[in-house]
Amino acid sequence: MTDSTVDGHTEDLVLDYELDAPPEKVWRAISNPVFRERWLPKAELVDAEPVSSTPGEEIRYRMRDDEPPFLESIVTFQVKPDTAGRTRLRIIHELADMTIKQRMPRAANSNRRCLMRAA
Amino acid sequence: MIQNDIFKALADPTRCAIFEKLAGGSMNATALREGLAISQPAMSQHLQVLRNARLVREERQGRFVNYEVDPDGLALIAGWLAKYRAYWPQRVDALQALLKDMDQ
Repeated sequence: MTDSTVDGHTEDLVLDYELDAPPEKVWRAISNPVFRERWLPKAELVDAEPVSSTPGEEIRYRMRDDEPPFLESIVTFQVKPDTAGRTRLRIIHELADMTIKQRMPRAANSNRRCLMRAA
Repeated sequence: MIQNDIFKALADPTRCAIFEKLAGGSMNATALREGLAISQPAMSQHLQVLRNARLVREERQGRFVNYEVDPDGLALIAGWLAKYRAYWPQRVDALQALLKDMDQ
């Protein structure tokens, strides 16, 4: 997680949750597009396709803030069993266009939301 | 708190439009006013609010002043973190509701 350091900043959110469901089921809820849509709608994502996926363990999506300046980020969901057969879900959310400088040349296009992008 | 300043600064549609324009590159106040029906004093005031929130900074070149998105982006990052810190618990609540539904 500390690898996401850009220009000396470390700006990740790391959140842990205990979910009262087995890991296989949580995995389906976060990786199957139909289930994922029910709690993390496509409108929040740059692309409904994951950036990467390790079945049963980890999946990553690219997200875009819905407010100016529409900062893009990567969210990683990690699924692990706990001793009671439930699931420990870790959410790691990091800014993906950290250096605001890199964003500067981009045109101030007010219609950047891509809400209608197909899955 | 700086986060409140950010939300207040961007809650105003005119300031939000100004900020978006600057996100595309630095500009002087005259160029910023193009397409926006606001007076020069009003523009100065909006820029002042954006500067106080550390979203925008002023860059002097001789007798010209340009405005640009604060390249450190510290205010932006603080605002982003605050937003998503509140966002994920809500999403996880929705996930938990879904997990219950999936139990046939």
